[in-house]
Amino acid sequence: MSQLTFETINTTVLNTLTRPGKIYWCIIALLFAGVIFGASCWAYQIFVGVGVAGMNTPVHWGTYLINFVFWVGIAHSGTLISAILFLFRAGWRNPIARAAETMTVFAVCIAGLFPFIHLGRVWLVFYMLPIPNQRTLWPNFQSPLIFDVIAISTYLTVSSLFWYTGLIPDLAIIRDRSNGVKKKIFKILSLGWSGKTGQWLNYTRAYMLFAGLATPLVISVHSVVSWDFALSVTPGWHTTIFAPYFVAGAIHSGLAMVLTLSIPLRKIFKYESLITINVLENIAKTIVFTGIIVGFAYGTEVFISWYSQNIIEMETFRWRAFGHYAPEYWIMVICNTIIPLLFLFRKCRTNVIWLFTISIFVNIGMWFERFVIIAGSVAHDFLPNAWGHYRPTWVEGGIMLGAFCLFFFLFLLFVKHLPSVSMTEMKELNHKME
Amino acid sequence: MTTDAIIVTGLFKNQKETLAAVEKIQKQGWIVTEVHSPIPSKSLAKALGRKKSKIGWFTLVGGIIGFFAGFSLAVFTATRWNLIVSGKPIVSWIPFFVIAFECTILFAVLGNVVGVLTQVGLPQKDYEKNYDPECSGTLYGIEVASTPENVDSLKDLLYHAGSLKGQRENK
Repeated sequence: MSQLTFETINTTVLNTLTRPGKIYWCIIALLFAGVIFGASCWAYQIFVGVGVAGMNTPVHWGTYLINFVFWVGIAHSGTLISAILFLFRAGWRNPIARAAETMTVFAVCIAGLFPFIHLGRVWLVFYMLPIPNQRTLWPNFQSPLIFDVIAISTYLTVSSLFWYTGLIPDLAIIRDRSNGVKKKIFKILSLGWSGKTGQWLNYTRAYMLFAGLATPLVISVHSVVSWDFALSVTPGWHTTIFAPYFVAGAIHSGLAMVLTLSIPLRKIFKYESLITINVLENIAKTIVFTGIIVGFAYGTEVFISWYSQNIIEMETFRWRAFGHYAPEYWIMVICNTIIPLLFLFRKCRTNVIWLFTISIFVNIGMWFERFVIIAGSVAHDFLPNAWGHYRPTWVEGGIMLGAFCLFFFLFLLFVKHLPSVSMTEMKELNHKME
Repeated sequence: MTTDAIIVTGLFKNQKETLAAVEKIQKQGWIVTEVHSPIPSKSLAKALGRKKSKIGWFTLVGGIIGFFAGFSLAVFTATRWNLIVSGKPIVSWIPFFVIAFECTILFAVLGNVVGVLTQVGLPQKDYEKNYDPECSGTLYGIEVASTPENVDSLKDLLYHAGSLKGQRENK
């Protein structure tokens, strides 16, 4: 870090914005094909009906809502890194803050798509919005599902504005080093930023307030998502630990996704001097911490069901571990709580292959956590004659694949067209260390 | 300063040199009108006598409006048809607080954005005036106002204060 100068920071980041090669466009084309496939599956579902998905009685909430919760969770770590760690003045977050914020914005966009897909008749989506109408019919604001609509749209608005505000000084750097059409575009995007002392004074204040507001928001949003489940009376859902459990899980999965994205980014764009091993090690340490919280939550759920001696709750958790979805349950436990403990060894924390591999396992584990919670609880609730199973169909698989492709498609477009590391924040960090 | 005043901009390598130069220039009676820098600096803002940001007020007002707007929306819509759902009161303060909370954050952030636009002065069309493109990336630019007849002595002062190059432009 001490060998870095303002010029080397600029050069390192701006070099990533050069004209991409054929391999890049091939990957983009491949991902775009995945997006088109996902969109085609959705179109098929719209024409044929939501029955093409595997959702049934009693499992009315399937992969669409599993993916919704998964992507909202992924989004959360971006705000943790950009806002919460900013307020704690954790300097190590600076090199990864931009990538994490971008991940947040794209993940929330994708999460927001899934309730639309889940609706089936997507053209009726406006029923969820408080729009004045001649029948004076309004959404029921006592419902956690409407809390969700308000919370997610607020989160998307706030995270997008926070992301763009953070970009402004960097956009000015690109503007001042480009010509022609590119200069014109960045001139508009940078809003005429010129780094005056008065501008910085107000900008830093606004950024701090953004961070201060995003912090309670991020906690509230995933709490609200957890209440979609916890405010029902379904065994396995109706529990007071859901809000902190979901928030910790969200941060856990988001940090893993940050590692998944940062490691290739670091290698391909030669960011080793900016995204140092120390930064990755700190993410790994935080993953150990969140993994332990998540593991504690898994244990608490089981303990409370036993301690309450409620036979329905006890059966729900027995069935989770040893019933139809036992493989999914144990994938969840092992990937989210056991495998991250490898980060207790310094060798695993400082080796990019270990870091990348473990991050993939955590991503898989967190997806299965949502599967186990959502599908597993309603599949096996009160009445034995109402029990059932759920398996996603190829349509749901295709839409899920399309969503992942869309996320990586957007992220790849971003990294080649906008600075994926905040030059300004890196310079601030560099200045502090001098 | 008269309307035919000239702004001379000196470019400096780092914050320490810039701050020392600002103090030196001010001590000799010149008016430092602006400093452009690649990163924020509290000490530069202090040296230039910049007042505390008022953006927090925009955020606060936005937040207060949001809180009442959220509650009002929920209460208004619930009372259009007084139907009791799941035995809950028509006006249920606890669930409505969630809506009010989210709206508080949303409107506070929108207030913050209005604050950025008005207080930071964005978008700024004439940003290129007296601005050196080097200042966004690596260098610090000190703008000093001068009368046409004193420009040479000012440039000399900037040079001795450590300026890398000088430029002049009518203001």
